[in-house]
Amino acid sequence: MKRILAAALTAALSTVTVAAVDPRTVPTKLEPAWQAKTRALFKQAIEIPSVHNRGETQKVAKLLADQFRSAGIPDADIHFMPYEALPGDNTEALIVRWRSPRATKKPMLILGHMDVVEAKRGDWKFDPFVFREEGGYFLGRGTFDMKNGDVATTMAAIKLMSEGFRPNRDVIFFYSGDEETRGVGATLGSTKWRNLTDAEFGLNADGGCPSYDEKFQPLGCQISIAEKTFQTYFFTTHNPGGHSSRPRPDNAIYDLADALEKLRTHRFQPMLNPANRGYFEHRAKEEGNSPLGQAMRAWLANPNDGAAADIVEASPIDVGLTRTRCVATMLSGGHADNALPQSATATVNCRIMPGVEPKVVQAELQQLVGAKVEVKPDPNYIGVPTPASPLRSDVQAAVTNAVHAVVDPRMDVFPVMAAGASDGSFFRAQGIPVYDVDGSWGISPLDDRSHGLDERIPVRAMYDDVVYWEMIIKSLAG
Amino acid sequence: MHHLLATAALLALASNASLAAAPQLTPPQRDATHAMFEHIVDTPTVIGRHNVPAMAQYVADQFKAGGFPAADIHVMPYHTGSATTGDDDTAALIVRWRAAGPTAKKPILLMGHMDVVEAKVEDSTTDPFKMTERDGYYYGRGTIDMKDGVTAITQAMINLRQAGFKPKRDIVVLFTGDEETNGIGARKGATEWLDLLGHPEYGLNADGGGCGLNVDGSLAGCGMQTAEKTFAGYTFTVRNRGGHSSKPRKDNAIYSLAHALDKLEAYRFTPKLNETTRAYFAAKAAMEKGPLGDAERRWLANPNDGNAADFIEASESEVGLTRTRCVPTRLFGGHADNALPQLATAMVNCRIFPGEDPNAVKAELEKLVNDPTVVVTRNDDFVASLASPLRPDVVSAFTRAVQTLHPGMPVFPEMSTGASDARPFRVAGIPVYGTNGAWVQVPTDYRAHGKDERIPIPSLYDNVVHWQLMLRDLAGK
Repeated sequence: MKRILAAALTAALSTVTVAAVDPRTVPTKLEPAWQAKTRALFKQAIEIPSVHNRGETQKVAKLLADQFRSAGIPDADIHFMPYEALPGDNTEALIVRWRSPRATKKPMLILGHMDVVEAKRGDWKFDPFVFREEGGYFLGRGTFDMKNGDVATTMAAIKLMSEGFRPNRDVIFFYSGDEETRGVGATLGSTKWRNLTDAEFGLNADGGCPSYDEKFQPLGCQISIAEKTFQTYFFTTHNPGGHSSRPRPDNAIYDLADALEKLRTHRFQPMLNPANRGYFEHRAKEEGNSPLGQAMRAWLANPNDGAAADIVEASPIDVGLTRTRCVATMLSGGHADNALPQSATATVNCRIMPGVEPKVVQAELQQLVGAKVEVKPDPNYIGVPTPASPLRSDVQAAVTNAVHAVVDPRMDVFPVMAAGASDGSFFRAQGIPVYDVDGSWGISPLDDRSHGLDERIPVRAMYDDVVYWEMIIKSLAG
Repeated sequence: MHHLLATAALLALASNASLAAAPQLTPPQRDATHAMFEHIVDTPTVIGRHNVPAMAQYVADQFKAGGFPAADIHVMPYHTGSATTGDDDTAALIVRWRAAGPTAKKPILLMGHMDVVEAKVEDSTTDPFKMTERDGYYYGRGTIDMKDGVTAITQAMINLRQAGFKPKRDIVVLFTGDEETNGIGARKGATEWLDLLGHPEYGLNADGGGCGLNVDGSLAGCGMQTAEKTFAGYTFTVRNRGGHSSKPRKDNAIYSLAHALDKLEAYRFTPKLNETTRAYFAAKAAMEKGPLGDAERRWLANPNDGNAADFIEASESEVGLTRTRCVPTRLFGGHADNALPQLATAMVNCRIFPGEDPNAVKAELEKLVNDPTVVVTRNDDFVASLASPLRPDVVSAFTRAVQTLHPGMPVFPEMSTGASDARPFRVAGIPVYGTNGAWVQVPTDYRAHGKDERIPIPSLYDNVVHWQLMLRDLAGK
């Protein structure tokens, strides 16, 4: 899961219309020798097709572990943790502890994942698992989601080790092997393996903080401090069926269609929390005095102003950030072209506001569609509500400094709530606050290609991310 | 597809069906009928099991043994298959009984099919492919759909020949091997095999018609199938850019499809009457009391009385008989639970009033959906089925035959809401009449395609007599 701030919030507001510099052409701050090492590691990581069920994620774990080992981390602090993700998908997590000689604080956790979303050769312009450099970009599956973050955090650590840096707290690296499917690794990491991962807070490299619009204006740097809870429900209708030449007055497909019509127009209650409040305070400034900006200010001033919240929710940039949202994503029904359907099912995917129990949403959906439709959660994944992590001032300061120094001094840093879920949610649910703060950036929406075709990262963004993480580690563990 | 009389209400002429005076088979004829029926019910002619050619050869051998020249008996192997049914090497059987002397009349076609719908042992009380005699019934898959008809036509022709009957015009038999699935045999019959069939004047289909007795023994009536609705499949397809489900778009392929289906649910095609349904509803109206009868009378008096037609259509017994009906039968959509759908489709199954063009129905569906993002396409290239005119000679031969066996039995024409092999012949200008004479108890014996299919034992033998009577009447003059 990876996100670049949605574009559009741009042209209208960027009052600074100085002929902007293309950020991709700015020289990187990483020394050439370390550029070569970073590029070599990145190439090896990208060329391992660590898609679920392929049994390749273990190779990424070994590759990263080898870097730590050659930089001096003893084998006793390198843990390969095999586990089963989706049924039959045997994968692995990697946990590395970089010990402080004289720890004065609780450990700091750095999170990432080594698996990638499937990519098909036929759909891409080139082989997604052959690393390429072209037109100022590195290309390949995982270049933005998120082998960039794996490589940047690993490379930053071994560079600091080579320079003799000693952290004042243990720094724990946790790379999971199934973030893109079911997050079993993060579940285990935050519970069963807690003796290896326990930390004061976590920094998640899965989620590039800064981004630019297509006119190269900075869109700001969003730190995810909360995530909506992922929960899928099934709407199912049943009917005795019969021969299609003799239609009955009731029909499983019609009953389901009626329920979907209700779902289409239903809106959950708007809710403000520290994460979306921080985000909308930033957005209200950007939107200025436009009707959307006014609605944002009205809602922030009065959280009960539902009409204002509805206007905000209707904005394509801000959709999903004012409330719980549920949307129909899949359909199936019937068993033969010439038989009345005996059942029909819609998959309804919900993103639930932090802190709200999925059972409460289920009850609201059931009430909405009525007794003819059965509403059940996906038994394979029951979401656990996660609280928003209060934004720590040391983290905000470290990220702000690093972003300004490495990426762009004009980037605003502000908290957001992620509409999607990532590994961080499992740790938040278990009491470890997690912040999504990777330093990679792209041009939005041009480079928004996570999970999509022809995924890529600007070459400078990859190299500078190593420098960024050096600064973060020095600042929070030095 | 087998259609037995679908109504239990036509009993104005309730009288005890005294069979004492009716003609009977001789004991050797009964034995031969029993042996043939048992052999073919025990042959599982389900698609994919490759048993139809063996059954065709067996039936051909019965004709040969019954004295029909080998030169007039043709086993016609062919292939059937489609994406939804799977494939099979199947066969048709064509037998021509030539007129004794020169004749100006074109042949009479006798139709049936040898294949059956799947039946699973675990879903049945007895092995569906082992004919079982029990409680006064023969049980087994195909006992009423329609190995009863294949047996009756074959045995009737053999009995007539052995009794010295000499037809005054050709009688030609076509038993197909894939009526329950793809209907390729019937299509070939109406095109490339038409010369072999001698370009028949009309067809008598044993896969239609039939009689009903009520549970109390009273007469429910015999239907003669003269029309069938046209089967046509359509797909509603909605495409969308999709995206991440955490950021719902305003437009959504599933919601657009659901909205279109809601419109379809509320929509009613224009009611229509034709010669068959008018006669059918006239027979119903004559004996139906209460609001349904009132509605039937109102509609017959004024075919533009849409309210009356709607009332009839809403009744469980008459659904599908007043107009074209379309109903969604299957849904597909989306590709991941966490992605907005890029594609959503619904299969819409239509049963079209005879004579209406399936392409016109497509246009009507597009109009009612009234959303350019919902694309309506056809799933097949079936053409409009036509109603066959009520021929007085066929009507009277059928009436005489059933009333010989069941004195006082009411008879009326009917339109089937299902589809059968008759369609390609009707489309080719050859009228077809569903005139089988098997009888069942209604509604307990309506088990075609269903569990524990069965036929009352005397009904099997009566049906042989029924076809002998029909052929003597229609080909003996």
